[in-house]
Amino acid sequence: MSSSLFWMIIGATLWLLGLHGLLTLRQALRRIIAFNLMGSGVFLVMIALAARSQPSDPLLIALVVTGLVVAVSATALALRLAGVAQGPEHPTGQQEPRQ
Amino acid sequence: MNAALLSLSLPLLAALLLVLLRPARSGLCVILMSAASLTAAAFALQQAISLAPQLLQIGGWETPLAIRFQLTPLTALLMVFTAGLHLLVALYAARSPHATGNEDYWPLSCLLHASLVALWLSADLFNLYVTLELLSLCAVALVALAGRKAYRPAFNYLMLSLAGSLAYLFGVALFYGRYGVLDVLVLAELTEADNTTRLALLLMSVGLMLKAALWPLHLWLPPAHSGAPTAVSALLSALVVKGPIYILWLIWSQIAPPELGRQAGFLFAGAGILALISGGWSALRAPRLKMLVAYSTVAQLGYALLALGLLLHWQEPRMEAALWLFILAHGLAKVSMFLAAGELQRVLGTRRVRALKGASQNMPVAMATFAVAGGSLIGLPPSGGFLAKWLLLQPLFEQPQHWPWAFGVLLGTLMSAAYVFRVVALGFDRARPNPPSVKPDPVAQWLAMLPALLVLSLALISEPLLLWLGGVAR
Amino acid sequence: MNWTHWLPLAIVLSSLVPGLLIFTLHEDQHRLRVTLNLCGVVIKLLLVVAMIYGVSKGLEFRFSLPFLPGAPLVLQGDALSLLFVALSSVLWLATTIYAIGYLENSPLQSRFFGYFSLCVSATVGLALAGNLVSFLLFYEMLTLATFPLVVHRGTPEALRAGRVYLAYTVGGGALVLMGVALLHGLAGGQDFQPGGYLLPAVGEHDLALRVAFVLLVAGLGVKAALLPLHGWLPKAMVAPAPVSALLHAVAVVKAGAFGIIRVVYDVYGAEAMGQLDMAGPLLWLAAATILYGSMRALQQQELKKRLAYSTISQVSYVTLGVALLGPIAAVGGLVHLVHQGLMKVTLFYCAGNFAETLGIHRVREMDGVGRRMPLTMTAFSIGALGMIGIPPIAGFVSKWALGMGALEVGQDWVLLVLMGSALLNAGYFLPLLWRGWFAEPADWHEDNWREERWETHWMLLLPAVFTAFLSVLVGVLAGTALSPLGWAQLIVNRKFEI
Repeated sequence: MSSSLFWMIIGATLWLLGLHGLLTLRQALRRIIAFNLMGSGVFLVMIALAARSQPSDPLLIALVVTGLVVAVSATALALRLAGVAQGPEHPTGQQEPRQ
Repeated sequence: MNAALLSLSLPLLAALLLVLLRPARSGLCVILMSAASLTAAAFALQQAISLAPQLLQIGGWETPLAIRFQLTPLTALLMVFTAGLHLLVALYAARSPHATGNEDYWPLSCLLHASLVALWLSADLFNLYVTLELLSLCAVALVALAGRKAYRPAFNYLMLSLAGSLAYLFGVALFYGRYGVLDVLVLAELTEADNTTRLALLLMSVGLMLKAALWPLHLWLPPAHSGAPTAVSALLSALVVKGPIYILWLIWSQIAPPELGRQAGFLFAGAGILALISGGWSALRAPRLKMLVAYSTVAQLGYALLALGLLLHWQEPRMEAALWLFILAHGLAKVSMFLAAGELQRVLGTRRVRALKGASQNMPVAMATFAVAGGSLIGLPPSGGFLAKWLLLQPLFEQPQHWPWAFGVLLGTLMSAAYVFRVVALGFDRARPNPPSVKPDPVAQWLAMLPALLVLSLALISEPLLLWLGGVAR
Repeated sequence: MNWTHWLPLAIVLSSLVPGLLIFTLHEDQHRLRVTLNLCGVVIKLLLVVAMIYGVSKGLEFRFSLPFLPGAPLVLQGDALSLLFVALSSVLWLATTIYAIGYLENSPLQSRFFGYFSLCVSATVGLALAGNLVSFLLFYEMLTLATFPLVVHRGTPEALRAGRVYLAYTVGGGALVLMGVALLHGLAGGQDFQPGGYLLPAVGEHDLALRVAFVLLVAGLGVKAALLPLHGWLPKAMVAPAPVSALLHAVAVVKAGAFGIIRVVYDVYGAEAMGQLDMAGPLLWLAAATILYGSMRALQQQELKKRLAYSTISQVSYVTLGVALLGPIAAVGGLVHLVHQGLMKVTLFYCAGNFAETLGIHRVREMDGVGRRMPLTMTAFSIGALGMIGIPPIAGFVSKWALGMGALEVGQDWVLLVLMGSALLNAGYFLPLLWRGWFAEPADWHEDNWREERWETHWMLLLPAVFTAFLSVLVGVLAGTALSPLGWAQLIVNRKFEI
């Protein structure tokens, strides 16, 4: 198995794990982490694809960087939203977002 | 192309300036800006029709490296549509501050406008991803403007939306890995029906269906759209869900090989019929008015899905005009419906459907708006919804083996009529009418009526419309 | 521009524009509302007379607007549309006066008269429609305009009736849409043509043609109260009397019957209908409806319900005449459209008068009313006798023509149906007449006009007397070319190319 394919499978697995977590977990923070795991999975796949050629495909690297920026912004929004959704009644409690 | 770029940059600039400067009369600024953007988009439409589809390589790079913008009659029409709806909603929101929830509505709606225009103009898969993300993040923020009650639906929307985006991105990665390009036009010539393409298309479709709330991935929509402030619900149902549908159409009608399209089309069409029935049934039983309207969106998107599915399944080009007409008519009608619902809720002081008794007496214009908008959703002549349904039915009737689909359309029509008339009939109930809690605002009601009147007479301008839609990029 | 181009549109607008204006009026702007109403009526009548004059001189009236691809919106004035338009306009005049009197001091008059005008606009629109798509447009508009009239009282009972009405009529409209779309795919959006335009398609597209016919007749049959789609009509009696009069004599029910006439003669044509064998089932349905309606009418103890079932029965005479596919039968069916309209509207006006003046809702309360309200009772008697088919009132003429028409095409059993129905009609109308004239007066709890000079409000009395008079007049003049019968003869000659 080529190393590219190996990393792609790892990436896909991470993606699936993240998806599963996002859909089934109940606490907001854990869902956000799951989403980031999904993102990492996709980026790993893209890097693996980039590594197939020598030198690495710059287009894919650029896409990964853009994707990272988007993921960070989305995570920021999600954290903020999760934070205010918890509300003052549960200062340390676990919020259960509606499925 | 310049007019199109102007139509894009105006809302973007406005958004940034509104955030930085925080002027006192944000509403007025947005109204002026969107009127200007609408004019620019109209110019772009005129250019797009008279000239061939125009391309712009940003930064002067060559494909496949460049980010490419493409202007076709369809995208120009969608830009006009977006600017127009933004303007109509802005007019209402400026008049009724309760509809926005918060002053932050103004810059966010401009950003929404800008990202949607960028989406229409994009011509490569990754740029579509970026604009899609922008759109979703704006939409989530707008939903959250309603306050504490909306945070949970907004968070849920965000999570599912991001899941959808990452599914789409995975599909994009696979496409690039297989074919080495991301540009739509170039990919269209390269694709073959192999497993990688199948997987990529599946992932992208699932992601896009999730974002567009297409049955059966629609469960996040009713809470989000009904929990949002009125103007936001209008923008969400009318505009935001249309972006992913555009991308779905793009990848299946242009990139996907016809054999795959035929198989997928059948599934799409079936999902469309189920959306009509299931969404209509839920709308019929919804206890709250905005929930009813939100489920109505789920149902009406079924028509779009049906048109798309049959377009692919039979390779029938007439379905394209039907698809886009559904989108346009639904956008106008839904804006009107949500604005009217917002007025009714505010004045009658309740969110329940049952409390609308006697509303045709107390708030005749709002009820009439609801009825007229509902008429387009049902597909009564001479509305845009009727025109779209007519175009959908024509190829359906040509061969007897296609008639079962027509039966599905008939069921959908009857269900739409049921939930629209559920509301309208209540309005005539004089036995125990619900009196208004605050004074109704006639100007706001007439502003809500405006898109409804536009969609009612849409069939009367069918000739130029079909001319524009006929020039869809191929 | 050419007046022949604008006149059809003007006829529709002459009630549409006042209607929309009336919506904006305040409840107490009584004078302005009445003025707008009557202006609209008079203008419409004048325009209709102008069009009749023009057509008699051989002018062609056609208004067209691009609408759907291949199917423009067309309004034209041919002899058949003018027949229906003239009937609608004259009866609208009478019903408007009646409604103004009936609803005096009632709430929500602006809303009522607004929708009332829209209803009439929709009716003349579909009368003037020149192709199926235009017909569909006004047909749906009619459904929407009549619903608020049915639920006008706003009581739970009215709303229930309204929901049933909507369920039937919206469903019917959807079926008509399917039928129209199907035919459009087959033959395009052609104008109505005497003799039909679907004959070329017979042979290769039989299945589609048959399915389209079933869809169209089912959809139109809802409004025309054809068995088994008649369920909404008795329930809709909860509406105020002017609405019942308008719905049952002029607008909704006639629109359905008119639609069936158009479909059979101007879309399919007698030739194609014969080849497709679809007229037979329609004939059976019409006959069944005639007998069923009359039998149910016998059982009704409420006056308006009895009249409602009578309508169900009588309108199917039109369908019967059409389904026989012979020229004389067609004349009978067509002219019955007019005659039944006149007679039924008279009956409903009188029923409304009885209810308003003396609180009469049930049959037994009618005892002796002839002594207290002789003019109204006379009008009622004329209408009832005409329904049974007594000469020289209008009803006799149309039933005679139908009978002759049945003999002409060899469907002799139809004569039995006609005779049976006449007997049943006598069975449920004659007792009413006997009660009204000869029985001892019942004990009426209210009497709003006891001390007045006239037996009831002049606005309620005059229309009833007027339409009763017309019923006799058209019957007496039936031999001449001026009458509806002569007109119907003219129309049929064109359709059968005699």
